[in-house]
Amino acid sequence: MVEDGSKILASVVASQLDVHEKYGGVVPELASRAHLRAIVPVVRSALEQAGTSYQELGAVAATQGPGLIGSLLVGLTFAKALSFARGIPFVGVDHLEAHIHAVSLEARARGEEIPLPALALVVSGGHTHLFEVHGPEDYRLLGRTRDDAAGEAYDKVAKLLGFPYPGGPIIDALAAYGNPNAIPFSLARMKGNPLDFSFSGLKTAVLRWVESHDLSAEIQARRQLRERVKRPTLEEWLQVTSQQTLDLLASFQKTVIEELLRRLELAAEQGGVRSIVISGGVAANRGLRRAAESGRLSFPVYFPSLALSTDNAAMVAALAFEKLKRGVSTPLTAKPYASFRMSPS
Amino acid sequence: MPSEKSWVFHSQSEQETIAIGERLARELRPGDVVLLIGELGAGKTTLAKGIVKGLGVANPEEVASPTFTLVHEYGEPPAVYHVDLYRIDTPAELETIGLDEVVRSDAVILVEWGERLRGLLREPYWVIELSRAAEDVREIRVSYTGTAAPTVASDSG
Repeated sequence: MVEDGSKILASVVASQLDVHEKYGGVVPELASRAHLRAIVPVVRSALEQAGTSYQELGAVAATQGPGLIGSLLVGLTFAKALSFARGIPFVGVDHLEAHIHAVSLEARARGEEIPLPALALVVSGGHTHLFEVHGPEDYRLLGRTRDDAAGEAYDKVAKLLGFPYPGGPIIDALAAYGNPNAIPFSLARMKGNPLDFSFSGLKTAVLRWVESHDLSAEIQARRQLRERVKRPTLEEWLQVTSQQTLDLLASFQKTVIEELLRRLELAAEQGGVRSIVISGGVAANRGLRRAAESGRLSFPVYFPSLALSTDNAAMVAALAFEKLKRGVSTPLTAKPYASFRMSPS
Repeated sequence: MPSEKSWVFHSQSEQETIAIGERLARELRPGDVVLLIGELGAGKTTLAKGIVKGLGVANPEEVASPTFTLVHEYGEPPAVYHVDLYRIDTPAELETIGLDEVVRSDAVILVEWGERLRGLLREPYWVIELSRAAEDVREIRVSYTGTAAPTVASDSG
């Protein structure tokens, strides 16, 4: 729940991370039934957190896409029904645009405006998309992953090595203890659009490295640790992770960051931008934040707070507020869409 | 499956795998289900790129891994569904992602980590197994569970 486009009154995420971890990366949160069970309690608790009621809402927004149709339908249908019943406007919002907007939302709350045009990198488990942003709904896709998303590479490498899901946080934490130059993974060479990304080759290179080193005992030890302890501490992880694996993680993380920053540098060299925005789940990665803020990128870099890096509804509400301010609302006939599209209809 | 026949291809590069996918696309009919089976990094998504290209619904660059997003659609209305079951462990979860509707559609359905559908799917369907034959050689073994097996020209004769 957002007031005046930048003040977050309540943000509730029905994260089923516990269930997730148990299955090593399964997806109940994407499943429509889980959504159906969660939506009413989530909305109710957001209203409670904000100390308000359905009667006081000025508008309602939901994500229209991209995503799994069944899950999108739950939020969309609920929002449309609320809009119809209360006679308030409905706004359908694009998930990637909302991730970018999360950063503007927080900048505005600090009394800052992000200088436009901006380069915006949305990087998560499902997306690695680079945009040039000129204003609300005015953006151009510069490049995107041709195979795995950056976050997906983290998840797959983590699973391979016996670490939990999601893989980003644990690899990020352990990478600090390894030598990032130990294993010189090669960077992807892109034919065609040089601003596209590729992480599949890196994933395979890590797999080959793991196959050619005898890591089975420590992988087994990590799986046992996960069975024994619900949330192992960093010290516990370090006890079951060899130096060569720490070096592997550090080298892997360094390569991912390098892939991301190189595209940003290349796009920034093409001129015309005044700032850089990095958003999405992988934006929570400390190694990425440190590298991006090291002064290497010659523009101010904006990250969302950790809470707004991962998927959340506050960014959806904030973007909807912007749209409404410009008189844009969405007809109740709007349908969800599965794949990324430039101009959602 | 006594009627099962198989064809074998070998690929030494991403480009070759895409070309094999394009060739296979010529054999596919609307509603066909293709299970893509192979370890991490075996080339499942790359082969899917070739099939999607061969079917003429999208460029290979637009075909990315659906691991996180589960289902990608190509074409409007969708002519290809590209599904990834990497994160799916139980039949109950399969049901919740709406796969039954996808499978009933007239689109070609490509399923990565498709071994998870074996035994749950009504025949006939295609099975494509990708594996590493040598350091830089991937073997792509294609079979069809139906009786009226199409004729696929493979590079092993």
